[in-house]
Amino acid sequence: MAHIDVAVTGVGYSKHVSKRRDVNIAELVWEAVSNCYEDAGLKPKDIDAVVTGNMPAFEGVNMPELWGAGHWGAYHKPLIRITTGGTTGGSVAHAAYYAVASGLYDTVLAIAFEKQSDGNSTMGLNTVALADAAAQFQQGVDPGFLASFGGGAVGIAVYQAASYMKRSGCTTHHLDKVSALCRNNAALNPWSHLKQPGLTPEDVAKTVLMQYPIRFGHVCPATDGACAMILTTHEKALKLQNKPAYILSCASCSDEAALMGISGSGTTNMDPCAQEHCKLAAKWAYELAGIKDPRREIDVAEPYAPFAHQMLMFYERLLLCEEGEAPAILDSGSMNLDGELPVCPSGGVISTNAIGASAMERITEVALQIMGKAGERQVKKEVHKGVAHGWGGAVNLNVVAVLSDTPRRS
Amino acid sequence: MRREVAIISYAQTPYEADANASREMQVLKVAREALQAAGLKQEDRYTVVTANNDYLDGRTISNMRLVEPAGAWMKNESKAEMDGAYAALYGLWRILSGDHDVALIIGESQASVYARWLPGIMMFDPTFDRQRWLLNEASAAALQARAYMNAFGISGEQVAGVAAKNLDNASLNPLAHNKLAGADAAKVLGSRMLYDPLTEMMMAPYCDGACAMVIAAGELAEKAERPVWIRGVGFAHDSYLTERTLKEMNSLRLAAEKAYAMAGISDPSSQVDLAEVHENFAHEELMAYEALGFCGKGEGGAFFDSGVTRRDGKLPVNVSGGATGANVVCATGLARIIEAAMQIRGDAEGRQVAGVKTAVATGQTGPCAQESVVFVLGGE
Amino acid sequence: MGPGIEVGQVPRAALPINPAFQWSVGNWMDHFYDGLKEGKLLASKCPGCARVYLPPRMICERCFTKCEEWVELPETGTVESYTVAHVKVGANGEFEELPQPEVIALVKQDGADTCVAARLQGGSASVGMKVKVVIDPEAESFVNMLAGYRPAE
Ligand SMILES: [Zn+2]
Repeated sequence: MAHIDVAVTGVGYSKHVSKRRDVNIAELVWEAVSNCYEDAGLKPKDIDAVVTGNMPAFEGVNMPELWGAGHWGAYHKPLIRITTGGTTGGSVAHAAYYAVASGLYDTVLAIAFEKQSDGNSTMGLNTVALADAAAQFQQGVDPGFLASFGGGAVGIAVYQAASYMKRSGCTTHHLDKVSALCRNNAALNPWSHLKQPGLTPEDVAKTVLMQYPIRFGHVCPATDGACAMILTTHEKALKLQNKPAYILSCASCSDEAALMGISGSGTTNMDPCAQEHCKLAAKWAYELAGIKDPRREIDVAEPYAPFAHQMLMFYERLLLCEEGEAPAILDSGSMNLDGELPVCPSGGVISTNAIGASAMERITEVALQIMGKAGERQVKKEVHKGVAHGWGGAVNLNVVAVLSDTPRRS
Repeated sequence: MRREVAIISYAQTPYEADANASREMQVLKVAREALQAAGLKQEDRYTVVTANNDYLDGRTISNMRLVEPAGAWMKNESKAEMDGAYAALYGLWRILSGDHDVALIIGESQASVYARWLPGIMMFDPTFDRQRWLLNEASAAALQARAYMNAFGISGEQVAGVAAKNLDNASLNPLAHNKLAGADAAKVLGSRMLYDPLTEMMMAPYCDGACAMVIAAGELAEKAERPVWIRGVGFAHDSYLTERTLKEMNSLRLAAEKAYAMAGISDPSSQVDLAEVHENFAHEELMAYEALGFCGKGEGGAFFDSGVTRRDGKLPVNVSGGATGANVVCATGLARIIEAAMQIRGDAEGRQVAGVKTAVATGQTGPCAQESVVFVLGGE
Repeated sequence: MGPGIEVGQVPRAALPINPAFQWSVGNWMDHFYDGLKEGKLLASKCPGCARVYLPPRMICERCFTKCEEWVELPETGTVESYTVAHVKVGANGEFEELPQPEVIALVKQDGADTCVAARLQGGSASVGMKVKVVIDPEAESFVNMLAGYRPAE
């Protein structure tokens, strides 16, 4: 059976800022969708199906496309909603990839977004742990003890960071350098949220320590923003684009949840920095894409790193080097915009985090690098292949996509 | 050449108002049974697509905690929102792409856990309707029922008759929980009035449960005993409740057109042997007859009166009892697909209809079936 | 349950989460609410297909065009459908009996192409009935400034 090649033929973003009070959720998303249609040179009539998603619980709106999709050109279209937490944007893009690859739909619009200012994201993230915590209260566990684990995503991330530093030799200085690298890249990206041109590792080291080893400067902002992309077949893409980017493969892999195991799932026995499932997802994606040596063949990487240590950790888990080598590779300058394997040229999730959109933005950013349309943030080297990643859940969900300038079959 | 994909196994929990099991236990049970029936082990390669909703789970990222019970540990896993029929659709895409050969599909929720009608209210426009607290899935359904009944002269007895038929059918389904042998329209009309014209017995009460299904292509499908082939699929989204006509079920009509075209069905009323329809409220089944092309526009009431859709009729609909018999949000549509597959396979025991070769199953989500999925299934 | 699993009773933990949301209504709905404050019904109109949206939408779903034209609609409209509600949904998500049944109607304002869901005063209703809007600029919550409808005669 012949594989149907899937190309990215349009990308669009909304403005990414912390609070958009002038638009509602549907209108915010419209900005990205409208820019995407324009980028692709297509109209809603050209779209065969729509895939959408965001973090469900954060804005308190259940299936926002039910009242919003009229703003996105989805009138009477086939539409499916995919939501998987932090990986949502990636999962939406993956579903759109499969929709085209299935042969059932030629041209598919993928939409992912978050309007964090409308809701209460920390509360949303807390419900990840709170349901277990409530059960623990009933078992007589001291609430103060549970509170010491910290709340929201930072709670899990500090343990992951500490474990990663122990295993890799990564220092707090490396964390500072990651933040500086990303925020400087973000300054070149008109769609990024936190732009800090000229930010130095020393500046980052002076920010408030939230919980060791993570400082304020090591953490993503809360962003309102949306991302849209149009995927189509190889044949149709060539009529629209001189140089489309192809999604060669998609893979996800899920581990047990790093939670307290009260509800019949999850344990706290796992090392949150192991991320064996990320390695598996990467392995599967590279296999499907025909990539034998990712270290040589991948030209650019967009790991999903809302916390500084994760850029290095996921660089390793995406099999781009041996475990423990990433800090030295960072020191070598290889991860810079003009380096050998630039990482997070967009500025990454640490600079812009409209949660539901973030994992899709990793894919669109790699696509733009391949198409040579990344503007000032375009990396210096020639880009043929790139890897885009998403991470979420209770540190247990990973999605990986491999993109290329040539289709899979050739 | 498109790959041929078949349903090769399935499993359902009993559906109960308040199950003595956690959602994880229910999912574990159906995932294990469906995998076993397909001859699969945890170490085999398969992909998993679950269907659920964070507002029903009461926790964010509802699929995150289902990884182990769903047999998805270290698997390529994803989640479709709401109805399991969407998860089945997504699983089908995954297999048709050629990147996967086998998919485990799961739908579940527990109405005994969530605040029954609140997740539905959260579906309405937050800038207006949601905060006015007039619209919920039941009041919206009543507005639709009245619009439909008024436009086409459908009587309360006809709507009640659908509920009575499904309650009676459910009495033959050991998994259903809302059942009443010999139910009649008068009894349904006489039940508690909630949102006129809809009485309590016209509503499919939310309950607890889970179901799972394994679909496959290639060797596994060919070797399977009595595979049920997925001949056609379609899905569609309709406008927001106050911006569309409520007299017709457009999302279902559009989805069915696509599914029929794919399956090569030009005259559904003669080519379809049986249908399992996701009807959250009794009038929706009448509207579905029309949207699925079993009868003409506005003819749903007369079509029902003709007896065609009774279990001894020419085109039985909801022999399982439908959503009326058991309505697990996120599983109801998937259960329709499973029930239709059971009929084709001859697994339906006391409710088996003879000679089912081609069957249609539908799933829906959003107020008044704002979004619909249609599967056309066929035997050998 | 499956082999080896014996379940007595599943323990339950209620979780009193009450997160606060603060939805941006957007400039279009903002303009609509500003109109209601002055007793006016403002709808947005699509320049492409002339479809009139009440409540207003920024984008026409049919044409994907920005609805930048505004029209003030008359106070009259027609009942497209209605239900007599005997219950409402309480804070716990269950139905609560209303002391008095109330009518919830879908009303198409004259000149509009979409409907408004609102309470209809007067106790009786029929499809096709002519009604007049009731605007209450003093409503406790701005979303209820469009208070409902009453029979036109
Ligand atoms: Zn228009």
